[in-house]
Amino acid sequence: MNGASRYTGNRKLPHDWYDGVIPDNVVLDSTNHIDTSYSFQRFRSRMERALKLGRNAAIYSNSMFDLGPKACVEVGAFSMLNGVAIICDEAIHIGDYGLISWNVVLMDNYRAPTSILKRRAYIDAVLNNESSVMDLQTLPRPVTIGANVWIGHDSVVLPGVSIGTGSIIGARSVVSDSIPDFGIAVGNPARVIRYLEAPRTGDPATL
Amino acid sequence: MSSRDRPMAGWTDGDLPGNVSLGRGSCISGPDAFKRFFSKCDVALSLGDRSRADGVKFAIGPQGHVAIGHDCYLNDCILLAEQNITIGNYVMIGWNTTVSDSDFHPIAPAERISDAIALSPRAEGRARPKALCQSVFIGDNVFIGPACTLLKGVTIGDGAYVEAGSVIAHSVPANAHVRGNPAVIVSVDLTK
Repeated sequence: MNGASRYTGNRKLPHDWYDGVIPDNVVLDSTNHIDTSYSFQRFRSRMERALKLGRNAAIYSNSMFDLGPKACVEVGAFSMLNGVAIICDEAIHIGDYGLISWNVVLMDNYRAPTSILKRRAYIDAVLNNESSVMDLQTLPRPVTIGANVWIGHDSVVLPGVSIGTGSIIGARSVVSDSIPDFGIAVGNPARVIRYLEAPRTGDPATL
Repeated sequence: MSSRDRPMAGWTDGDLPGNVSLGRGSCISGPDAFKRFFSKCDVALSLGDRSRADGVKFAIGPQGHVAIGHDCYLNDCILLAEQNITIGNYVMIGWNTTVSDSDFHPIAPAERISDAIALSPRAEGRARPKALCQSVFIGDNVFIGPACTLLKGVTIGDGAYVEAGSVIAHSVPANAHVRGNPAVIVSVDLTK
């Protein structure tokens, strides 16, 4: 988190333990922090703006961006991803001021099909690195995480879920259904146990 | 290196922080044990006699304090203490279990925004809003399985059995058997 360890513009991180670069289609600026380029080891997206980091967003070690060829991920301003696995084939949006804890998994696609024969074909494609086959197996359902959301450690957010502004997801929850604004949801499957009082000054994302 | 190769007392990798007290025959091992150890207490971490902490991460804040009793066996778990975590005698804690005595972030949405700003890369030294902390107590003869989570303020009664993967948000009575997320009591008295 110190000044010297920030992105310098040459797509290589000065403080990196891994010998890699930040892919060209990652949009970031000098206010962002990324611990290691190892987080992009499974980055296959060919979109122009595959990953867009808002101002002051930070990606800490153990995070992994497992992005398919058509994936677009957006991380809002002041958001902190502290060792988060993002599995994306279409779109995952994280709002501003997000606090996402360690070992959280956000996925918009299960990737492996449920039928045994199709799953065999998928495993063969993965083992042979046949991207054209492995990316067509299941349909992605985009995930949207609103502004000011806090997700507790070891939680999983499943495909198609949207989490409302200001919500809290308890530690080790499995979020399989959408969560409304300012809800506190816990458990497996995650259920809303109570609601927070919304800030009175209008849209919390603009505070 | 297998556990048999290690000496049966003391810390085996680098310098042991000065405010850690180890009882006779107790052992701490693992490269990440003190990676997030920031406590400034006189005795920040104490282990009783014959206790072992293999691969345990002691993430202890500046005012945090962890006390572990005699004959405990802790394996690859994470202890996050901003206040107090007290563990009794003959306690077993399994892999990947997380014990924390704080909320890490404030609950109120507006305060959480200022916490996110204080935690951002360029806000070095900016004061963070206070998060709620409540001490955690684990009694004697408690078994806590792998991949459990103990949240702030819980007390696990003597002889309780916590099954794998449980998330404990409320205190567990003595000799109870609990499981699930959120955890529920399956039987109240294991001694019967």
